[in-house]
Amino acid sequence: MSTILKIFVFPAVFITICLGILTILGGHITPGGGFQGGAMIAGGIILCVITYGVEKSPIQLSHSFISTIESIGALSYILIGLVGLFTTGFFLYNVGADFYHLIPNSMIVEMFHYPDVTNAGIVPYLNIFVGLKVFVGLSAIVIAFSQFKRSESAEED
Amino acid sequence: MLNLGPIIFGFIIGFVVGFSIKDNVENEITFTKSSFMVMLIVAILVAWQLGPFPYYNDLPIATGFLSGAIGMMFGRFIVNT
Repeated sequence: MSTILKIFVFPAVFITICLGILTILGGHITPGGGFQGGAMIAGGIILCVITYGVEKSPIQLSHSFISTIESIGALSYILIGLVGLFTTGFFLYNVGADFYHLIPNSMIVEMFHYPDVTNAGIVPYLNIFVGLKVFVGLSAIVIAFSQFKRSESAEED
Repeated sequence: MLNLGPIIFGFIIGFVVGFSIKDNVENEITFTKSSFMVMLIVAILVAWQLGPFPYYNDLPIATGFLSGAIGMMFGRFIVNT
């Protein structure tokens, strides 16, 4: 890629990633959510991989980083669902909002209440964990595909 | 009342992404601290233009956007030194 493109792309990716974070955090009150915001962040990283290449990209995702974030995203989603199962008997019950007044202990409701003016409960937390999982998942797919192409061309040579 | 949710979690997500931004010696383009400061100023302007979320009226800027940018800076310069 040309030098002008290499100078321009990373600052544009920086703004794109921030917009992805905003999309994740506004998922409970605006269009968007965890998957869409995570896909926007992954789009920024994919743009870096396409422009700079995997080895020269300023955003380097290691295998351990990808597996750690992916595991944190999936396990936290399940754990939040299990909190609702153990306290009320319903998996993924919104323990942070408690619309049906099923939780006698108000401490659990306060613990899972998202700190903003809306009464969203656990929904923003689910968006955040899905966003983290999607961001590393989609990035890993593209990084793996770029590596496959490189190894095939090396074998032909 | 300040909405702490987007500020805290925007910083955390930005920190996770900024943690993986590294100086690459093989790349002919290097982004110095001053270029990151320009990006932060542009991020502040974009956050001002975006405005707050529909039901947020604590600050006239998109706090999640700005805290994400600050989290990326933090992850890039404080952790990856």
